[in-house]
Amino acid sequence: MADASSSRRAVSAQGHQASLVSDNAGPSHAQESAPAIDAPAHANLPLRRSRHAVGGVQAKMHDITEKFTRASLEVGQLVKDEYFTLFESIGAIEIMDPKMDSGFLQPGETLEDDYDTLTPLLPEELIGIMDQLLCYEMAWHTGYPLSQTLFTSVHIVKLVWTEATVLGPQFYRGEIPEHRRPGPLLEVLRAYCLAVIKGCDFVIAKITGRDYFEEEDFCTHIYNRVLLVSVPIDVFLRELDAAIEVIEDPESEINDGVRKAISARLALRKDYLRALDLDLPLNQTSYCWPPILQGIATLKNTHQLGQSVPGAFSSKMQRRLASTVPPRPIVELDFKDALQKLQHIAADCEEATRFIALPQDPLEYQSFLWHFASRSPPPLAYARAYLSTLLFHPDNLNTSVSLPLSDVKTLVFPASPVLDSMNWTFSPPRSPLLPKPPRLQFAMLMDEFVERTGQPFLDLWVALGQNRCRLRRMLTHVITAWDLLQTDAALIDTDISSAAEELGIGEQVMEFSLSTWVYHKKLWMIEKVVLLGFEQDIYLPDEFAGMYLFLSLIATRRKELLKRVEAHYLVQANLFLTSRKLREAQEIDDAGLYLDSLLAEAEGTASLALALARFYILLLYLGLLPLPKRPFGTEALRYELRMKPFLSLSPPEAPAFEDFRTHTQPYGSPSSPSTAFFEAVGKADSELWAEVDGHVKAAKAAFAEYKKMGVVAAKAEGVEKAWGKEVQSALASCVALGVAVAGVKDMVVKKGMDGGKEGWGMKVEVPEAGTGKRYAEGWVVVKTHKE
Amino acid sequence: MADHGDANPENETSEAVAPKALQDSDLQYIQYEASKEEQYLPAIRQLISKDLSEPYSIYVYRYFLYQWGDLCYMALSPSNDLIGIIVCKLEPHRSGTYRGYIAMLATASPYRGRGIATQLVRQAIDAMTARDADEIVLETEVSNTASLKLYERLGFIRSKRLHRYYLNGNAAFRLILYLKEGTALKRPEHVEHGADMGAGGMQDMRRVDEAEMYA
Repeated sequence: MADASSSRRAVSAQGHQASLVSDNAGPSHAQESAPAIDAPAHANLPLRRSRHAVGGVQAKMHDITEKFTRASLEVGQLVKDEYFTLFESIGAIEIMDPKMDSGFLQPGETLEDDYDTLTPLLPEELIGIMDQLLCYEMAWHTGYPLSQTLFTSVHIVKLVWTEATVLGPQFYRGEIPEHRRPGPLLEVLRAYCLAVIKGCDFVIAKITGRDYFEEEDFCTHIYNRVLLVSVPIDVFLRELDAAIEVIEDPESEINDGVRKAISARLALRKDYLRALDLDLPLNQTSYCWPPILQGIATLKNTHQLGQSVPGAFSSKMQRRLASTVPPRPIVELDFKDALQKLQHIAADCEEATRFIALPQDPLEYQSFLWHFASRSPPPLAYARAYLSTLLFHPDNLNTSVSLPLSDVKTLVFPASPVLDSMNWTFSPPRSPLLPKPPRLQFAMLMDEFVERTGQPFLDLWVALGQNRCRLRRMLTHVITAWDLLQTDAALIDTDISSAAEELGIGEQVMEFSLSTWVYHKKLWMIEKVVLLGFEQDIYLPDEFAGMYLFLSLIATRRKELLKRVEAHYLVQANLFLTSRKLREAQEIDDAGLYLDSLLAEAEGTASLALALARFYILLLYLGLLPLPKRPFGTEALRYELRMKPFLSLSPPEAPAFEDFRTHTQPYGSPSSPSTAFFEAVGKADSELWAEVDGHVKAAKAAFAEYKKMGVVAAKAEGVEKAWGKEVQSALASCVALGVAVAGVKDMVVKKGMDGGKEGWGMKVEVPEAGTGKRYAEGWVVVKTHKE
Repeated sequence: MADHGDANPENETSEAVAPKALQDSDLQYIQYEASKEEQYLPAIRQLISKDLSEPYSIYVYRYFLYQWGDLCYMALSPSNDLIGIIVCKLEPHRSGTYRGYIAMLATASPYRGRGIATQLVRQAIDAMTARDADEIVLETEVSNTASLKLYERLGFIRSKRLHRYYLNGNAAFRLILYLKEGTALKRPEHVEHGADMGAGGMQDMRRVDEAEMYA
């Protein structure tokens, strides 16, 4: 085991995500068939790995009794080497403590569960067990281990006990007398269980095939069992068909409603297994999820026909799975909730299949990934792995035009001589001493850049496929990688410029084109990191002003960058028009649509962030936001911690603390503002209020413009609805902010500053994240209440 | 640390059932010492594990107390019963900082709401500051408002949200207090790529500590 797990670690450390995803992510390029064979079942158990190879070494026994007695340890003294970690101490259990020792038996308790898996079932009990299995299967999907979910089923565990025999896995072992043979209903349950198990095998293979975090996103432990990995799907489908036949046999004495209920469960299981199939051709994926969504309703309506069989599930099964883990409670999920999870998975996967039909444009992909990650409720690990598998499908990635190149072209090289396909037709001069033709240089430089940018580009996509918390943290690492990329891009830019000068077409190539593209993407990511911070309630109310100010600074940088690109487009378009190159002029025009959309969005973000920053500065001075006393640490230290992910970047440089403080505290200490503040805040027409109102207005106008330009210009055609909703919620945030600002202004102006906070009778409520109280999770707008 | 937040260090709203007349000056705060294990460890374990679904083994306590007993403080009632406890460690972190970590904090429920936990945290911060720590970190459940408030009032801020951090599936906030300038810029002295993660199953430590390596 030691070897197995360390080799796995080595493999993933070399994987392309090594710097981003820790080896906790498990194998990042798992083979489809891998999990059952490959997963080192003990690797994640709290067992201490031997640092010596176990295989082939003859075990020797040493009597240490004497040494041990001589050692005379003090009570509480810990004898350990430097390799003994906290994790290992946590993995330790105390024998004979019932809460830790899974083998501990209460008086009269038996070690094994005594439920007989050959006990005949009533049809109603069959429904009961099927539904309970679905509950545990869905609980597993939400992140709990099999040992606390499906593997508590005595039937399931019996079937995964060994690899299939000639007869396939059975509820019994060896020979049994004829009268003990399972009846038709048990055979139906067996078919259902087998399909559940195979489904788990598919799910694990899909998830481990992509980047994910073990135990955080999902638990892939299978406790040395084999989930029928080598049995092809047809076998399971046939078993299910046979089971349906048994149930629908008119000879069987089953009440019609119950019969239909069982049939529906078998049919849904069949559809579900098909949808999970790893080998399902791409062009069929979009058809496989709707039947599941339709089947759910029948299950919901017939659940009450079932009768539960409590004996068929037992936490004692854990003892057989792993003896070194404390007994953990079975995770109970209501059937209603289980169906909701299934619906959630099926709906997310169905949405993911729309990815296949997207136009082959990396910016469309980016929009799709961003909006998929932003779905509410957030997609579970399986659905994320499902989309990721489609995204990284060879058919999708092996395009004729490199994806990063096409992204670059859209922003900085529309109709550019740098990307003229002619450039790739030149051959290098025979003698390496002769200078290369400038057009050939273009081609070589672009090839170099595309090669260099591939990894950071994919890193961004991988990050977008993680859970929300990881997305925020992983993006900060992707940003660092893009920062390095920008340095390299600048070098290539210089060479491109000199080649262009050599050709005498210097004005047709924007200075620092590639760095501009990299910088733009980097700034976009920084904005997302800050917005995700708000979404995840990372910032305390008194930090709002500073963080929105920073966001505004970044978005303004991006806007200015885009303005530079715009100016270049103008020059280029004029050149093309005067030289009557109408096709090229049109290309620039088209690119301008996307640029305008980006500009409007950057303007909206910068203005709304600035409006919020100004408003929160004001609220802080008015004493309307909680301001902790904080006897430890300093403002400068907290600022350093906040800026940590961005400190190494250049550009953009994080503002110096003094700068930051000047801007966030223009009227001195928040607890004792200068008189200038009181004068300004008391007048409705003061510049203070005018400024806030102005930024709110500008934000609203920009987002309205962005919305009007539409989904095509924004390159989000594939996610029209989600995009529309996002823009709408940004607009709604502007409106809400306008209302909140007006509320506070009226109050302060009418009642004056003399009575202070108590005199206003106003309370400010910060809407919590994830409770539906915000129009947009990243745009926190407080609500004002009269007390 | 795992489920550490469950111990619900200080609940402002809960009515103290303890003798109302009890003065804060009647309480004693003392530092743990290894020689006190037999006297105090059973009570410490009881206090901490009261709200935990899965208790820590004695080795977890010893792991901390044997190595960093001087960063463990106890609050005692006038009758010398243990009513509050804080357990910490302090060691070089892979990020390059000298990092303090608050592993456990608990106050007996009848004594909550009197600032005992706050006092314990203050003492731990002072002790770690005196020992030259760069930063102090901890995790607490996102829904544990009492705990969040306690630490945030003292100066901690949230640095990240950790998805499904606890065994019960709940998320955590990582809270950090910087004690020294330049902490954010510290880097490990020597980076062995991948190799430094090799020893001792570090990949699972996120349940407890060190989630830093993931972000």
